[in-house]
Amino acid sequence: MPNSKQLAIITKDIKSIAKNRRLFPILVFMPLLMSVGIPSLFVFIALYSPEELKDFEQMLQMAPTHSDDITTMFIELIINSIMPSFFAIIPVMASSVMAASSFVGEKEKKTLETLLYSPLPLKEIFYAKVMASFALSMAVSYAAFFAMVIVVEIELLLAAGIFIMPGASWLSMMLIVSPSISLLAITVIVRGSAKSQTMEESQQKAVFLVMPLLALIIGQFSGLLLVSAWLLTGIGLVFAALSALFLKSAMRKFTYEKLLG
Amino acid sequence: MQAVYANSLSKVYDGGKRAVDNVSFEISAGSIFGFLGPNGAGKTTAIKLLSGMLSPSAGSCEVFGIDPALHPEKVHQIAGVVTEHAQMYGSLTGLENLMFYASLFGMGRESSQSAALGLLGELGLADAKGKKLETYSTGMRQRLSLARAMIHSPKILFLDEPTSGLDPESALSVNNMIKSLAESEGATVFICTHQLRYAQEICTSYGLIDNGSLLALGSLDELRELVFPGMRVSIKASKMAQGMQYKTTGEMLYEMDVSSEQGIAGIVSQIVSQGGSVYSVMSRQLSLEEIYFALIERRNRKEGPGNA
Ligand SMILES: Nc1ncnc2c1ncn2[C@@H]1O[C@H](COP(=O)(O)OP(=O)(O)O)[C@@H](O)[C@H]1O
Ligand SMILES: [Mg+2]
Repeated sequence: MPNSKQLAIITKDIKSIAKNRRLFPILVFMPLLMSVGIPSLFVFIALYSPEELKDFEQMLQMAPTHSDDITTMFIELIINSIMPSFFAIIPVMASSVMAASSFVGEKEKKTLETLLYSPLPLKEIFYAKVMASFALSMAVSYAAFFAMVIVVEIELLLAAGIFIMPGASWLSMMLIVSPSISLLAITVIVRGSAKSQTMEESQQKAVFLVMPLLALIIGQFSGLLLVSAWLLTGIGLVFAALSALFLKSAMRKFTYEKLLG
Repeated sequence: MQAVYANSLSKVYDGGKRAVDNVSFEISAGSIFGFLGPNGAGKTTAIKLLSGMLSPSAGSCEVFGIDPALHPEKVHQIAGVVTEHAQMYGSLTGLENLMFYASLFGMGRESSQSAALGLLGELGLADAKGKKLETYSTGMRQRLSLARAMIHSPKILFLDEPTSGLDPESALSVNNMIKSLAESEGATVFICTHQLRYAQEICTSYGLIDNGSLLALGSLDELRELVFPGMRVSIKASKMAQGMQYKTTGEMLYEMDVSSEQGIAGIVSQIVSQGGSVYSVMSRQLSLEEIYFALIERRNRKEGPGNA
């Protein structure tokens, strides 16, 4: 748990991103696009031009449950199997934007040195900043998740009178994958932060985390694999282990000399 | 207890540059110590060593008995540091900035606010307290940095070039504020600067460094003692008396050194007795700058030509 001094840093970091006119819109619109825009588009296709569904034949063949109603089956597949990999882009993006602003941004604006002269041990400053990025990323992810559930369910209910429960894959998405992928993105940014001189430069490094997600998305549409709760949990645990490992080594590189050099 | 204690302190950077070379000194609590030398002399490196941002390559140092290399956070608790690179947040107001740093020192809301408002008042920033830092001038920023460094009533202030980049007027006012804050709070002050003239106005003792090594240590009088304790006399006269050591500095202008005021009277009476007229006489003691250059010259002479 953060102490009161760390809490001051966390609050300051979160307030400063909320006030940032360039970054804050990204943190609002990009998650909304991923969590509300994309699923709504699929719902729209499924309900109003079902003939398009033939394009997704390969994918539909992998569906765990088969029902006669191809529309419901498709929507269920979209919500519980396809959307989680789209959704995972949200924590990656939110945490890397925040971590870049919190670590590299302070260096860029020459405010980091002042922070280092505070009586907080370097380790506590480091973890306060990790916690700030993590907290913001989780807040954005959960807000996006609830926005998605509310909007999509209302759409389905109003347009087709159906109700589709978010499945177990979302449980593992929200409890395991989102936190671990956030931490992993933060460590990627932090590890690069000593070398990066600008925020943009360091954010680019998180792009490589989006690559496997894109591969997952493409894999699903081409019928190669289908994301399940088990697969997500596995991925989440691997990410968690990697980020724990990276975090320790990033902390070791976080020295006064490296930060000011 | 000494406020600062450095024992054969050295710092060699990765490239092999010996930025601080076997430096030893002590600073007693309550003094305003000027660590002076030209750019590249090793002043900033010394502040980084004393504030725990760098570890010494050899030797050691202590700040009120704490080794900054081992416990930087404990030194930070009792020290305030102002350097060129330690900026505050542009999107926060002056008051918000100070309150944020106060909270890092574990100060509660109320004590933070009263300390911040008090310092803003003393530093002439009361009117600007609600303005965002990004609208501040360089002089105002520098004063806010001083306030930030003093927010937790530190026992010692480390100030790196506090007046550089300021116009003479703001430099003077920052200088006066450092002095009065140090006096009212009883804090020890460690100032690094290459502006020897400003330093002479506020420091009570000095360490003169060049190229990483100490040239001399002591109060102004003690430093004068090392070079020339007497007075430098500038005389405007129709001619100079015979048999005197002097330097011509202009038309009818002469300069010479005397050991006491008695000497001035002697010079004037000799000029007059040899038929000359004296138009003006001014005497002063060596300035810090003159002492510094005299010491550099003396060291270079000792090292021999080609070695400098
Ligand atoms: N991080 C560094 N790496 C290598 N050399 C450095 C570094 N910082 C300073 N120096 C060198 O050390 C010497 C002293 O620098 P510094 O302490 O900044 O001097 P000052 O503050 O008196 O101008 C200079 O020659 C400078 O170039
Ligand atoms: Mg310097």
